[in-house]
Amino acid sequence: MVFEPFEEESDFEELAERLDDPDPAIRRVAVLNLADTADPEAITLIARAISDSSPEVRLQAAIALGEFDGLEAAAALCEALQDGDSGVSRAAADSLAEIKDPHAGEPMLALTSHQDPKVREGALLGLKQLRRPDALANGIKAMNDPVPAVRIQAVGVVGYLKAEEALPALIAGCRDDEPEVRRTAVGALAFSKSAHAVEALVNATADDNWTVREIAAEVLGKQDSGTRASELMGLLEDPFWQVRVKAVRSLGKLRVSAAVDKIATQLDETVSNLRKEAAAALGEIADPAALPYLEKLVDDPDPDVRKNVRWALGQIG
Amino acid sequence: MPLANTPTSVPVEVDEGKCIADKGCTVCVDVCPLDVLRISDLTGKAYMKYDECWYCMPCEADCPTDAVTVNIPYLLR
Ligand code: SF4
Ligand code: SF4
Repeated sequence: MVFEPFEEESDFEELAERLDDPDPAIRRVAVLNLADTADPEAITLIARAISDSSPEVRLQAAIALGEFDGLEAAAALCEALQDGDSGVSRAAADSLAEIKDPHAGEPMLALTSHQDPKVREGALLGLKQLRRPDALANGIKAMNDPVPAVRIQAVGVVGYLKAEEALPALIAGCRDDEPEVRRTAVGALAFSKSAHAVEALVNATADDNWTVREIAAEVLGKQDSGTRASELMGLLEDPFWQVRVKAVRSLGKLRVSAAVDKIATQLDETVSNLRKEAAAALGEIADPAALPYLEKLVDDPDPDVRKNVRWALGQIG
Repeated sequence: MPLANTPTSVPVEVDEGKCIADKGCTVCVDVCPLDVLRISDLTGKAYMKYDECWYCMPCEADCPTDAVTVNIPYLLR
């Protein structure tokens, strides 16, 4: 039998009936139709499908709830997060990350110490965007979790709060065994101008992992004092061009005149992105000492480099 | 608009074993900006009725059962 496509999307009664149909495909389509209504009243019905016997229907419901917001959707997603089917729990985590209403964080807070690391990870992922000050303690505790993926999300929760009270935890995160945790923690320090934060950033410029050095180079450019210019200049010797690009950018932003000769060494690099950023930085610093270096590059084969060289020459006048 | 007579040669193929259009799903038909997909009265499954395609992919991405495959011509890949 062929069903007519569902037209009356606001007919919740019929959709509720379809949710009880013995055929899981019909129940799945009912969930899709409920999501299409975009009516918050649909949440209660979709939430019901989170405990459906068919994993496909539960999956559809977990995806569908990502289109909604609020406590009821979040509570159902927290239930789905604990689903034995990994596809359902993964979809629930993705949908939780879409929730924006801070009041919806309550059920997530309760799950940050759940026995299953996937649940802890998903709950923290959802909490991150909500920026609830009362999530700080949960985040700090989870930063000591034995599972790296959980610690990564925990640093996210703590970092998003941009709170000075979180600083000691974030600085500790910069020394985590897992590079991705260190990278996230270093990135999260951008909000603080405190000496301790700058010290941690400087230490991160010597990290074993290049992605940590890269983010340290970037964040140091956001600290407004040029007193850390020597560490940034040191990063221009880094074997990874990605690190050098960020160091060049930061030196430009901080307008470090003393770095002109060092930045100019990057103009000879084969990676055109480096030449482009070096030219831009020299323009930002606008020191006449950069003129001879820039003039050598006016006919660079890369049009983006030429554009920045022309702009930089204009800045210097 | 040319009608696609030979279903195997059209760029968008629907796995009829997976498609649940007969249960009421119309997702791919609804998302296609060119309105080239239809549900067949005969089989109750989705198919490409008009052989015009932007290869924009939402039909494949949004299908809840992964039934849709968009075969992107080699030169466009
Ligand atoms: S979206 Fe997928 S399941 Fe739905 S009608 Fe199209 S092919 Fe069938
Ligand atoms: S790829 Fe785009 S144009 Fe082609 S059938 Fe799918 S939705 Fe329609």
